[in-house]
Amino acid sequence: MTREEVFNDVNEVFRDVFDDESIVVTDATTADDIEDWDSLEHINLIAGIEQQFGIKFTMGQVVTMKNVGEMVDIILSQLS
Amino acid sequence: MGATVTSFYFLCFLAGLLLLYYIVPKSIQWVVLMAGSIAYYLLSGNGILIIYPLLGSFVAFFGAYMISKDDKPKVYLFLTVALLIGTLFVLKYVNFISNTVNGIVGWFNVEPVLPTTSFLIPLGISFYTFTILGYVIDVYNKITPVQSNYFKFLTFGMYFAPVLSGPIMKYREDGEQFFKPHKLEYRNITFGAQRVLWGFFKTIVVSERTKLIADTVYNNPTEYQGVFVFLATFCYAFTLYSNFSGCMDIVLGISEMFALKLPENFSTPFLAKNISDYWRRWHITLGVWMKEYVFYPLLRTGFFTSLQKKMKDRFGKKKGKQYTTFFAMFILWFTVGVWHGGDWKYVVGSGLLHWFYIVMGELTLEPVTKILTKVHIDPKARWVDALRVIRTFLLACLGFVFFRANSFNDALILIKNAFSSFNVSRLFSVDIFNMGIDPIEFTIMLVSLALMIFISVMGQNGSVRDKISKKKLPVRWIIWYALLFYTILLGYYGPGFSASEFIYQGF
Repeated sequence: MTREEVFNDVNEVFRDVFDDESIVVTDATTADDIEDWDSLEHINLIAGIEQQFGIKFTMGQVVTMKNVGEMVDIILSQLS
Repeated sequence: MGATVTSFYFLCFLAGLLLLYYIVPKSIQWVVLMAGSIAYYLLSGNGILIIYPLLGSFVAFFGAYMISKDDKPKVYLFLTVALLIGTLFVLKYVNFISNTVNGIVGWFNVEPVLPTTSFLIPLGISFYTFTILGYVIDVYNKITPVQSNYFKFLTFGMYFAPVLSGPIMKYREDGEQFFKPHKLEYRNITFGAQRVLWGFFKTIVVSERTKLIADTVYNNPTEYQGVFVFLATFCYAFTLYSNFSGCMDIVLGISEMFALKLPENFSTPFLAKNISDYWRRWHITLGVWMKEYVFYPLLRTGFFTSLQKKMKDRFGKKKGKQYTTFFAMFILWFTVGVWHGGDWKYVVGSGLLHWFYIVMGELTLEPVTKILTKVHIDPKARWVDALRVIRTFLLACLGFVFFRANSFNDALILIKNAFSSFNVSRLFSVDIFNMGIDPIEFTIMLVSLALMIFISVMGQNGSVRDKISKKKLPVRWIIWYALLFYTILLGYYGPGFSASEFIYQGF
């Protein structure tokens, strides 16, 4: 998968989890940019991404990823 | 010396330590901190109890080392967590279980079945245990550097400024700075001292006065009704806030003088718009700790993953997700309550009550928004937000009733009394000055409280110290000297004064 393809799929998961079709995520998107992205939704988001890509984040990655860019990098590294 | 950082002897100790810190070779600055921290702990309370943080740090250090080296990291993680949590549990919570079980059998007129113990509890155990435990778990998760020198780890785990009342530190973010060389910088010393002074103002000028009114009512719960219960509870809310956040200002200010940056623990919590928001602003480091080490791991267990799947199938995607998180949050908030102390008043007042608030907030969000839209009120209007802030403050105050009351029963009596009489007019009579505080003291309290609130709100838009530092020299001096003399002259030293105790020190 290319980075762009991963980004598209990630975006779909975001829209699905937050029930908001207008969401467009970028590398720099953080929890501050999406109103409902709190600690509850963070875990739902992680679960959604894991299901979408068939991967598993470590607990360390869950608590340290700072933005969507980092999330996509982790997904890519696990897919390769 | 006494454990309190507002005592005169502590200031002498601090000055000596600072001097030593900046004159020794930079490579051993951390040794000064370690020695100072051990001395501080020894002088703070029952000296022999230092064995607990010394051993606790060793267990965490050794456990983390083995986790990073051995091929069975899970075994070492389990053992280390069990030892650290086990110690905390035995020292703080055995009586909680005994009292609860004895209480329950007591309803059936049965004699107590479990013995109670009277352990001496080391100061700050809840704080330092969480700090060192977080490190162990982070090592397991491979997201923190591993410290291979026990004494360096001890310096971090027992660092004297936060050891008794927090903030709870994270080694991966705050740890390594302890071992870097630190140059003496004018800004660190002045900014640190200014923050310490602000902390002193909050604790000995504000908190010590609002406390008098709260104490008067809470120590005589049957004698006060209506508006007096409300007044005492509001006073207690500000007592706790100014005491705890003031203590944090002192701790963070002292650390700044040693060129160490510690995590913030408060961000104008009484301006929160809902209870979730409140917990992101009040005791921030505890909330973050609970989120990372309890809530996230809990939700990612096989049990919760499959539960969520079942719930989604049964109640639909949205509700299923919501109900599962409510369940996980119940465990989380129970833990937060228990952390505050082995007593049901904490479990309810600082735990389950807040869980209930958050659940109700989530469940009513949609219908309330619908109603507001129907009656043409913009849910995002400023005045609606203002009402939300007031509501959140009142809800937090209800939690404080349990937190402060001398027992769970006292809390229930006070809540009943609060609504038993409508006596607002008495607030404007002389009765108000029979609450442990005379008219002059009362006025000082109001003015100081207003000043504290004003400056705290100002601090939301960037550091107030930064703003003051950009003013001309005479203005700066007038501001800081005014605050210094205000604090010295109007600090409340009360009868039999022994320097203010920090409320959170007991945890």
